[in-house]
Amino acid sequence: MPVIQVQNVSKTFEKTRAVHNVSFEIPTGCIYGILGPNGAGKTTTIRMINSIMMPDSGQILIQGRVASPETQRVIGYMPEERGLYKKMKVGEQLMYLARLKGLSRQDARTSIKQWLDRFEASDWIGKEIGELSKGMQQKVQFIATVAHDPEIYIFDEPFSGLDPINSELLRNVILELKSAGKTILFSTHRMEQVEQMCDYICLYRKGENVLNGNLTEIRKSFGQNTIILEFDGDHRFLDSLNGVRFNNRSNRSVEIIPDSGTDPQEILQTAIRHVTVNRFERVYPSLQEIFIQTIKNQQD
Amino acid sequence: MNTEKFLLIFKREYLTRVRTKAFIVSTILAPLGLLILIIIPIILSSFETEQTQKIGIVDQTGSVYQRLSELNPDRYTEPDAMPVDSLRSLVITGVLDGFIILSQAHIDGEQNPELFYTGTGGLSLVSEIRSDLRTVLRDERLDRAAVGETVRAILSMQTNLQTRVLTETGEEESDTLSLFFVGYIMFFIIYAAMFGYGAVIMRSVIEEKSNRIIEVITSSVKPFELLMGKVMGVGALGLTQFAIWSVTGAGIMAVAAPLAALFLGGNETSAPDARQAAAQADLPFSIPTIGAEVWVVFVLFFLAGYLIYSAMYAAVGSAVDSESDANQLMIPLMIPIMLPLLFIGNIASDPNSTFSVITSLVPFFSPMLMPMRVAMTPVPFWEVALALALCILTFVAIIWVSSRIYRVGILMYGKKASFAELFKWVRSN
Repeated sequence: MPVIQVQNVSKTFEKTRAVHNVSFEIPTGCIYGILGPNGAGKTTTIRMINSIMMPDSGQILIQGRVASPETQRVIGYMPEERGLYKKMKVGEQLMYLARLKGLSRQDARTSIKQWLDRFEASDWIGKEIGELSKGMQQKVQFIATVAHDPEIYIFDEPFSGLDPINSELLRNVILELKSAGKTILFSTHRMEQVEQMCDYICLYRKGENVLNGNLTEIRKSFGQNTIILEFDGDHRFLDSLNGVRFNNRSNRSVEIIPDSGTDPQEILQTAIRHVTVNRFERVYPSLQEIFIQTIKNQQD
Repeated sequence: MNTEKFLLIFKREYLTRVRTKAFIVSTILAPLGLLILIIIPIILSSFETEQTQKIGIVDQTGSVYQRLSELNPDRYTEPDAMPVDSLRSLVITGVLDGFIILSQAHIDGEQNPELFYTGTGGLSLVSEIRSDLRTVLRDERLDRAAVGETVRAILSMQTNLQTRVLTETGEEESDTLSLFFVGYIMFFIIYAAMFGYGAVIMRSVIEEKSNRIIEVITSSVKPFELLMGKVMGVGALGLTQFAIWSVTGAGIMAVAAPLAALFLGGNETSAPDARQAAAQADLPFSIPTIGAEVWVVFVLFFLAGYLIYSAMYAAVGSAVDSESDANQLMIPLMIPIMLPLLFIGNIASDPNSTFSVITSLVPFFSPMLMPMRVAMTPVPFWEVALALALCILTFVAIIWVSSRIYRVGILMYGKKASFAELFKWVRSN
């Protein structure tokens, strides 16, 4: 059974249509990515799943139950804008937030201690949040999200503002949580993170869900129409190619998307004439390409 | 509402505040501030009397000046005989503060004496001179008429009105003036508390918003639970502060009066009650007894007012990003707090008038006005009960509206909400 079901959900703020008739399902034990530009409705959807806001119409089911303050217990949520009480001590704050999630004092203490040890942060327990560095605060924020051991983890733009070390740490913990059978939902506007981590995706555009499903299947459905070319030499020969588009172009590699009438073999021959080809491979499209094509198809 | 979560929030709001320096400092400073507000006018008025105005007396009777200078040698002086014009210029140049020409006609009562003066010195100067003149002219007339001692004694007798208030348990001697004083003080304490604790609530809401912790909290609790926990937690803080003040106040009263009696009165007293001790020592002031029922009414209405106004402050706090943005939205909140200031004169002059009864029943005013009335005069039980019931109903209505504004407002950033928007928030689902 899907752990989260979003069914025909809409939410309007005064005259802004933040989310419009969105539906998707999140299977248990996967990593689910919500993708889209800023302002596309990702955060509003996440807030409704967290019962911070109620949908104007449609409904959201968490483990089969309608989302309500009672379902908040099974979710750990880290908002995009992180925040903690600056004047409160790390230990008291984590205890308070875990207890608000319904943990007993004893369970909360055990869990908080484990996570602080794991992040080598046990020394901070008596310090006020305001005294900690930004990186330390991020770790505390993360512990506050996971300390009550929920079934569902929701991270809104989790990697924004993280230093490389914390970024890597978070990636590892998310993958670990997945292998422990937990469900992870995160939103981002950075495609490469989703490609690396997500099993399922949902694409947002202007409040609407334009595409969703299993990432591998989505890519297959677009066909192997992308060519990855890696080379040594002068990249300007690319400009002489006709009937193609480029993604992620650099002076050593490029993704080439040929138009339907263009023969990939001709591209290869042109490339060989100008540069040393290190790699020429037909692959499924990148997420960025899928996103661009989906939006283009909608506009047509 | 989830009681467990409410209690957690309540405890945090209370404990994090009660441990702060700000709480300790304000607990100590607030009564000092009040004391200073009371003492400074007394000190200032004692300064004023030290400054004596010189009044020139041109005595055409030959006997009245003598009496005046015996009565108040610092004030009255007899300038060398000179024309009225020169006296005028003495007053204008400030050598004298005024002059009076006294003649036989004044003793005979055919004319009233006239004081020519610079207009400074205030009402007290004029009334003091008037009373001095009355005394000396009366004595002069009595002497001239050769009136006997008995009549003089009768004339100098004074009658003071003492008041006794009848209650069901008997009669009590009451010092109306000091009861009014207690009423005023209660009014201003609650008045100041509405501003003070309201600001604490508002700041706390804005802090959670600007800290961005609000989204983490609301992913665990309902906004209503957070709002109630906050309002009740800070309310408990207020009660703690009041309890500390009451206990120390009672302690100081108990110790101060016998001490004052010791220093001022001289005769040692073993009276157990401070009030008796003060009475025995013949102190220049009396210590009013504040009945338990006055105290209970005071605390109940403090709570009622606090609940009504703090719920409104919380709604305002949720609708803005910073305190400086709050000014416009504060207006509908400040008006009901400040309006009772206009009524206290009327209520003090007749605490049982229809006007007093009605204004003290209006829920937004009664937290300030009802304890004041109860301190000043016996108020029928039904009035107090009705006022309290109306306050509670108002609180329920206000907290409903406020929590709906709060729920939307805490997640809104970056734009200043207008009243029209707040209204929409209340109606949104």
